[in-house]
Amino acid sequence: MVRRIVILGWLVALLAGCGRVETRPEARPARGLPRVCATSYPLAFFAGRLAEGDAEVSFPAPGDQDPAFWRPSEAVIRQFQQADLILLNGADFEKWVNTTSLPMAPLVDTSVAFKSEWILFPEVITHSHGPQGAHSHGNIDFNTWLDPILAVRQMGVVAGALRRIAPADEAGLRRREGELRRDLIELDRELRELGPRLRGRPLLASHPVYGYLARRYQWDLASVHWEPDEPVTPAQWVAFDTLRAGHPGRLMIWEEAPLPAVAAGLAERGVRPVVFRTCGNRPPAGDYLAAMHENIRVLREAAAAGP
Amino acid sequence: MMISVENLVFHHPRSTFTLRVPSLRVGKGERVALTGPSGAGKTTLLNLIAGVLLADQGVIRVGGVEPARLGQAGRRAFRVRTLGLVFQDFQLLEYLGVGENILLPCRINPALKPGPAARERARELARRTGIEHRWEHRPARLSQGEQQRVALCRALVARPPCVLADEPTGSLDLATKTRVVDLLLEECAQTGASLLMVTHDPALPARFDRTISLGEGG
Amino acid sequence: MGSLFFLAGQSLRHRRGQTAVLVFGLAVPIYLVLAVNGLVLRYQDSLVRRAEATPLVAGGPGSRFDLVLHALYFRGRVPHPLKMADLAAMRETGYALPIPLHVRHTARRFPVVGTTLDYFAFRRLEVAVGGQLLQLGDCVLGAAAAAELRLGPGGRLPTDPDNLFDLAGSYPVKLLVRGVLSSAGTPDDRAVFVDLKTAWLLDGLCHGHADVTGTNTEAALLLARTATNVTAGAAVPEDTEVTPGNIASFHLHGDPADLPVSAVLPVAPDARSATLLRGRYQAPESTVQILAARGVVEELLGLVLRIKRFFDANALLVAVSTGLFLILVVLLSLRLRRAEMETLFRIGCARGFTVRLVGLELGLVASMALLVAGAGIAITFALAPAW
Repeated sequence: MVRRIVILGWLVALLAGCGRVETRPEARPARGLPRVCATSYPLAFFAGRLAEGDAEVSFPAPGDQDPAFWRPSEAVIRQFQQADLILLNGADFEKWVNTTSLPMAPLVDTSVAFKSEWILFPEVITHSHGPQGAHSHGNIDFNTWLDPILAVRQMGVVAGALRRIAPADEAGLRRREGELRRDLIELDRELRELGPRLRGRPLLASHPVYGYLARRYQWDLASVHWEPDEPVTPAQWVAFDTLRAGHPGRLMIWEEAPLPAVAAGLAERGVRPVVFRTCGNRPPAGDYLAAMHENIRVLREAAAAGP
Repeated sequence: MMISVENLVFHHPRSTFTLRVPSLRVGKGERVALTGPSGAGKTTLLNLIAGVLLADQGVIRVGGVEPARLGQAGRRAFRVRTLGLVFQDFQLLEYLGVGENILLPCRINPALKPGPAARERARELARRTGIEHRWEHRPARLSQGEQQRVALCRALVARPPCVLADEPTGSLDLATKTRVVDLLLEECAQTGASLLMVTHDPALPARFDRTISLGEGG
Repeated sequence: MGSLFFLAGQSLRHRRGQTAVLVFGLAVPIYLVLAVNGLVLRYQDSLVRRAEATPLVAGGPGSRFDLVLHALYFRGRVPHPLKMADLAAMRETGYALPIPLHVRHTARRFPVVGTTLDYFAFRRLEVAVGGQLLQLGDCVLGAAAAAELRLGPGGRLPTDPDNLFDLAGSYPVKLLVRGVLSSAGTPDDRAVFVDLKTAWLLDGLCHGHADVTGTNTEAALLLARTATNVTAGAAVPEDTEVTPGNIASFHLHGDPADLPVSAVLPVAPDARSATLLRGRYQAPESTVQILAARGVVEELLGLVLRIKRFFDANALLVAVSTGLFLILVVLLSLRLRRAEMETLFRIGCARGFTVRLVGLELGLVASMALLVAGAGIAITFALAPAW
């Protein structure tokens, strides 16, 4: 009995000297195609054209919601977290990113390179805290992709990011990048051609989302804050009339067709609504390029129709 | 002859006492009482016979062995094999119970084992001396008489050929004394052991085969 | 042999007090020496491993020890945090992915570590229960933190106010536990991880409240209103819990480039990139210092171990004096047992048997002391934190 206790004692002393063994989780196994998640339709379109099967491109925002104000579900957030590349438009487009946990490594902001060219809305009311509190920035116009030249730059960033995660077909990627650049430059050419017809003509917009187009192509554009699916109140009509007193535009660009009552009100004032889709989400038909060509065609026709 | 002492002279190293025994014999199976006044050297004689002390002169033989010619280790081995010793001051181990004190010779003698047979013998001796009910008790819980009986049982448990007992009944009442002496004499008779027992009780020598009396100062 | 063990055991049992004194008198110095050295070696090993797993640490100017301990162990505060602009500049070099850390707050005394999801991949931390961080106000608990706090997915964890004497200056938030990490055996086990933006929320740099720019906002809540700016007063109630109903109202004030980060872990893909990155920040006027964590930790360990030598010498002296006392106790004990030895001698016990008996008793005492010391060491190692 005593002998057993002695042996047990030696055993305990021996075990006490053993160190802890740390285990580390195994590295995650390699997956199939790289996964790309985009926060806006134009970026998804660019990525799809550039990757062409070398990557899985997804744009999870529902078709009936504005991606700029959409808040993804937990499942969609996890989808973004698992992506090999997350394409952000930037310029404060995807506000949900500010309160969401995403990894930094796959995150690519496609517009930060031309941050100095972002358009701010000076007339928006900001708020601050306390007499010495920091002021919040004014809202930023995030519709950068409407300017084909900025779209080319964003597309270039997408191409660079794809090159890092799916480097296999470099030649193919370079070729597709060139093709897409040509397609976007064609948009720029068409809009430049339109320029002389719109020069000197005050234009109106239902929403301040066409600033980049106006700046690039020197449109004299003034905007209100009207929604296409909401009626215009009498006070808004009064403000509109006041605006038109100093800016007598007869063409008003809308993201979508206004309500018939609104269109009638505009017609009474001699203002013609023109639909120029912003393409932040998937267009009803075709793709980004088709939608932009259609936008330009409609605007060209409206400009040709007279003052 | 079991014990023979010839021309024994022993000078106590720390006193002026000198023990002189010209001749002493105890035959095999003989039971001898050793008497004498206090200070006569009875205990010293037993220690000399046991080889605990060494004589300055003379020859002591026990069972044909001269302990003085053996080395320390030899004398210890001789004692554990040949002698059963009952000390005047009992000399029990304080950390062992009655039973284990009795069995001690079986533990220290390489030729013996404290197995079931030895335990049964120890129990029987304890029963016959009336201390079996104290089997687990340590010496601190025993009376002097009980301790004396334990010492006696320890001396007898291994059935030694020769028993040296130094006043084994000194602390006992009359009834117990009789019982213990009966045991001692019966055991020696049964095993054929020789017995040399020191006693001051005048009634006891009559029960022995012979009495040897040591004079004062040896 | 059986008799020897029996007699030795009985002897020790009979002298319980003395035996206990001897056992503990021997066990304590053994325990102290082995446990202290064992723990020092273990901590040294874990410190070095943690540093090896974190090749580079970047931060503002200041003590390199403070910075490395802050970044690796989430301890203390750094006097000069970096800014997000520094992080962006570091990323632009292309030499490393800079993983931000912002550790300024605690939740029930556990450090709240603001970072990005990249940290978990870098440290190979897996979620054992529940899920990863999803949004502002979420937290993921280290395994030990979750066990001590008894919290799991769905639970709420309030952060601690910075300063009990200035509650108005603190921005405690009730965090939502999304998940619990697997045990890693590192300081990560005792951390509460939040998104970097949540850490800024705790700093008061990000908050949520009702819209105050509307014309129907109570005047009592405002300090001033102009055509382009509304100044909100302190009376505007701020949300202390992020919910699906109010998450959209949370916003940052100030330039995002100025937002603070207490430390950065630059993760370079290879040694060359790491060297080039360090080279970029070597100029004396640089406001960013990049350190090789292992070098700093080894320097720190060198200082600590130099001090430890004094303690080792002290322990040795204590052990020697304890040993001498124990020898004295044994010798005195043997003197007290002279009568017992005499008895054994007289009844013919061989000297060797007596020597072996005493030796066995001492051996049993030593064995019990080792057992006690071993048990103490095992308990110490089991209870001591892994790092």
